[in-house]
Amino acid sequence: MTGAILFHEQTARQRIASLVDLHSFAELLPPPERLTSPYLAQLGIPVSFDDGVVIGRARIGGKKIYLAAQVGQFVGGAVGEIHGAKLTGLFKAAARDKVPCVLIVESGGVRLHEGSSGEIAIAETMRAIFECRALKVPTIAVIATDIGAYGGIGILSTCCDFRVMTEHGRLGISGPIVIEKWMGKKAYDSANRALVWKTSGGKTKYLLGDADALVHDTADAVRDGISKFLGKSSAVSLASIKARQKELEKRLKKFGATSEPDAVWKGMGVRDIEAASLASGPEFAALAKRGK
Amino acid sequence: MEKFAKAFPSKPLPSKTAKPWALAGVVGSGNLEVLLERGGKPSNAMECHVETSIPGYKAAWLAALSDFAHHYAAGGTKVTINDQGAPPVLVTLRLRQAYDHLIKGDK
Amino acid sequence: MKKPTPKKPSARAVLARLFGASAKDIAIEKSVLTGYATVGGKKVCVIGTGDGTYIDNAAALRLAAHVIQCIERAPKTPIVMLVDSAGQEPNRVAEMLGLASYFGHLLSCLELARRKGHKLITVATGQAVGGAFLCYGMFADRIYALDQASVGLMPIAAMSAVTKIPAPVLEKLSKTMPSLEFGAAPFALLGGVEEVWSADDDVQAKLAAAIAASSTDDNRAELGKKRGGRKLALDIRKKVLAESAR
Repeated sequence: MTGAILFHEQTARQRIASLVDLHSFAELLPPPERLTSPYLAQLGIPVSFDDGVVIGRARIGGKKIYLAAQVGQFVGGAVGEIHGAKLTGLFKAAARDKVPCVLIVESGGVRLHEGSSGEIAIAETMRAIFECRALKVPTIAVIATDIGAYGGIGILSTCCDFRVMTEHGRLGISGPIVIEKWMGKKAYDSANRALVWKTSGGKTKYLLGDADALVHDTADAVRDGISKFLGKSSAVSLASIKARQKELEKRLKKFGATSEPDAVWKGMGVRDIEAASLASGPEFAALAKRGK
Repeated sequence: MEKFAKAFPSKPLPSKTAKPWALAGVVGSGNLEVLLERGGKPSNAMECHVETSIPGYKAAWLAALSDFAHHYAAGGTKVTINDQGAPPVLVTLRLRQAYDHLIKGDK
Repeated sequence: MKKPTPKKPSARAVLARLFGASAKDIAIEKSVLTGYATVGGKKVCVIGTGDGTYIDNAAALRLAAHVIQCIERAPKTPIVMLVDSAGQEPNRVAEMLGLASYFGHLLSCLELARRKGHKLITVATGQAVGGAFLCYGMFADRIYALDQASVGLMPIAAMSAVTKIPAPVLEKLSKTMPSLEFGAAPFALLGGVEEVWSADDDVQAKLAAAIAASSTDDNRAELGKKRGGRKLALDIRKKVLAESAR
């Protein structure tokens, strides 16, 4: 395996190769099909043969999965018409075949250059994800890079059954630069990396329960994280949404008035902030009593 | 954007390769993707198609591609490149990576 | 001297137009709408936003709570979702608390409602943009828009500012690519909106017919192809389904 390279440093294709069983990946709509964005071509922006998302079938630990990996370097992994339709199709195939679907997320959301088409595609993919969930077909989002899951893709990630994150991963809707522009540097200094990661990073998301696993920044750890959820699903039931409603109300009441991420960490059971800041993955999780 | 195509003489590709196609690199700032496919015609030429976001460097591109076609047995392949301003050294590296993947497979 | 500018209809006026006298039972709290009304003589549950408000964690929870109440107390009652929101306000605390998860929760509540037989109909009445449209309105079975509604990703001027592509270039391209244009009509060409209702339409009758005709299949890609605004999405999706079946 590519033990030397950290997961967040890999390209989408490298991530796939290092996650799945050897030679098990079969790409769907592979590059030779040349399905590239007509919007970018018209605007004089370079196109890519996978339109920023690599999709296919594979196996993890012998188990069949459908898998998509977004290409963050290509227009920020943003979702255009083709990219989005590939995702919708993949989740629909997963529902049809009752095969778990894993999305390696790396996207700022809708690709602005393609306008509303990307937005509709994200909405369609959300419908397809819930199609899977209704059939108890597991849907798993892996969020492990600083491009992370933002905008519509941030929302979409929260529609999946499970989220596996690393401390590098960020999950949100509005990014720090947008917020800084809106609220001013005093309210949010987007250059303050510690603050940015404590606002939207994997550790805070894990503490709050929005990430279901926090793993090390290696392909092996991410694979183990995914494996744990391949046999599980979280049904959308009256009991589950009522419990979630209570939990989110409690969270807002408890932390809505604070602007200090450390208060959230403490409130979620982190006793030693400094030690927790230095710890990563499962070691961090062990230092916190999540949700207590 | 600048777009051009040219074929370069090259020794025929080995009759057996690990894969029918290989892709190297990513389209991103200062980077490029190279798609290398079997089945180009004729068998003693490497057929190249380049799309680059930085116009004005056609001569450098043709030199790099010609050089590669000369040093590698890439006849009967089709090379298609999407470029976003990669430096020449990276172009050569990606061509080699794609060629290696094609011949030997991913691992 | 202040020039008189055409005033946008208030949330109350929009509700009256859609639900007549039955709109009186819909509560408006900080521009978040929740309640019940009557359409074509039948009860509907109403959730929504008005006055172009921002939607935040608390608003998402209020909407979700009403959907849960509707599932529990008014089984199978159609849910009408009204959208007039400028989106989510960029806010660090909202992000820290996981605004995306609050939106995901609202979507889960609507999904459960759908599975339990509630029809979901959206009417975009004002601004229907960004996360605010994605977090409930676009999740409906069928989506409609009043013709004055501002529907879409963002106006060309904003798109130009972010992408650094000159506005005239985008303007010109939008003539052949309706995806780049902003508004209810181009959004309908993409299949994102089933039908646009004009000022002359009897919207109460239209809404009643929309509820009656609603179906849970997602038909947007088909519509987008048929109407020519989104030519690729359906075929790409079908290709994925075909290749993966082999």
